[in-house]
Amino acid sequence: MNKTTSTAATVRVAFICLVSLGMLVPMYILVINTFKSQQEILANPFSLNPGTATFQYLADAWTNPDFSILKGYGITLALVLCVNAIAMAVCAPAAYALARTPKPVFRLLLFFFIAGMFIPTQVILVPVIFVLRAIGLMGTLPGLILFMTATTIPFTLFVFFGYIRVLPRSLDEAAAIDGAGKYHTLWRIILPLMRPIIATVFILNSLSVWNDFASPQMILGPGSGIYTVTTGVYAAVGQYSTDYTKVFPTLLLAVIPILVIFIVMQRHIMSGLAAGAVKG
Amino acid sequence: MFIPAVLIYVALLVVPVIYAFYYSFTEYNGFPTRVPEFVGLDNYRTIFGSTDMTDTMVITAVVAVVGAVLVNLAALGLALLLQRTNRFNTFGRVVMFYPHVLSALVVGFLWQAVLGPQGVVNTMLEKVGTDSLPFLSDPDWALWSMILVIVWSLFGVQLILYLAGLQAVPADLLEAARIDGAGRWRTFRAVTWPSLASTVTVAVITSGISLLKTYDVVVSLTGGGPAGSTKTLAYSILAVSFPQRNIGVASAQAVVLILAAAVLAITVLVLRKRAEDDAESIG
Repeated sequence: MNKTTSTAATVRVAFICLVSLGMLVPMYILVINTFKSQQEILANPFSLNPGTATFQYLADAWTNPDFSILKGYGITLALVLCVNAIAMAVCAPAAYALARTPKPVFRLLLFFFIAGMFIPTQVILVPVIFVLRAIGLMGTLPGLILFMTATTIPFTLFVFFGYIRVLPRSLDEAAAIDGAGKYHTLWRIILPLMRPIIATVFILNSLSVWNDFASPQMILGPGSGIYTVTTGVYAAVGQYSTDYTKVFPTLLLAVIPILVIFIVMQRHIMSGLAAGAVKG
Repeated sequence: MFIPAVLIYVALLVVPVIYAFYYSFTEYNGFPTRVPEFVGLDNYRTIFGSTDMTDTMVITAVVAVVGAVLVNLAALGLALLLQRTNRFNTFGRVVMFYPHVLSALVVGFLWQAVLGPQGVVNTMLEKVGTDSLPFLSDPDWALWSMILVIVWSLFGVQLILYLAGLQAVPADLLEAARIDGAGRWRTFRAVTWPSLASTVTVAVITSGISLLKTYDVVVSLTGGGPAGSTKTLAYSILAVSFPQRNIGVASAQAVVLILAAAVLAITVLVLRKRAEDDAESIG
């Protein structure tokens, strides 16, 4: 009995080690080849010779005249913060109103919002372009922010709704007796209680905004001169995909910030994802 | 209190969907000076009539169905293996989840450098004296390579969902099954699997819909090639029909995709409802 469990345990550990290795190898290749010349990469893709390793290619990618990665970080970060701020500012009151009013019309409205989660947002980019053109925001950052906000509203609202619904109503009633209006109650009583779910939504929305490629590519377009990390990487790497001394360092610079954030916050990111999705 | 949310949501998500339906019945090149011309079902005849575009739909369906099956099998299998919380398993979970924080575009470029004709794997194969393998240069290989790359990058999310779901499996039922002498497989079938029903629904719908809109990986890994073998519907809309100013065709393709996502979601929800009703009638 004991022997079979220990064999099973060994097999399990060995199998997981093997899968983990498969997950990590591409990242290992990315990191070590960042510091090597094209000939070295082609000759020995799996090892790093400390004698010839150089920061030259990383520095070249950092100072690439076609794509300033620092500017890409800045624009993408601004995008992440704006989308989160607007999405939460419009979804918190909406979710609060929906959660506290048990009318059939409101139920219908909730369904109307949730249905948005099933729309593959990338494929409606073509008509979105015409809408943005009509309101004069095509090719601009505000246009992109508004579209990305719209795509995050269904999920944000749905998760907020689920969270507020389980907060006791007596809180609202007590506030009402003290003479607080709806907005006042939301701001002073409900929002502070929502801190954990706000953190979850912030993390998940940030990941999807940071990583989005189709929306900035279509809405900003090449003519606008504004690029995010993803569209910048596309411009910098797309046409030189066989020059590995450009590919690896640029990709490394693109993933470093998000990987660092992930490693520091992995527990919160992963538990947030679980909480956010299973609540439904 | 919900007017701002409704405004943004309707203007930039609902109206575009309506426009997609409208444009799908018109011929339109997108120039502001031209008025879309109503052509009925012509665009749908075009996309269902040309082998190129039906191939695209078949490829999208294969990516979505095979991808979702593989992603969920891998995620559920590994979730069962990593269920217990200890240091080793926590490390395993982090390692399997990390590709999700990379953008799909970067993942595609990275794997192109690994699997491409001059890539890392083929360099190593040549070194040991074996012929190189056409991971991305042969039409049959390329589709499977792409699906595996997507599975690699996607299953970590579903893994976390299943881990959360497994925590909700009632411990007393597992205990009862053990006392009744049920084996591992019996216990899984009779206790774990039914308790996971809602998790499976969420995981299948979310992975299916994200696979249906596969675009970024196509752009960076294969560019739709070779010979259109990895051209998905989303890629066809954004990288082919739209640049060719075929707004009507692009919109008809978008409508097909929206309907496919709706059918997928409704089917899974109905199946789940039925499974729940069955479970209730038994219990």
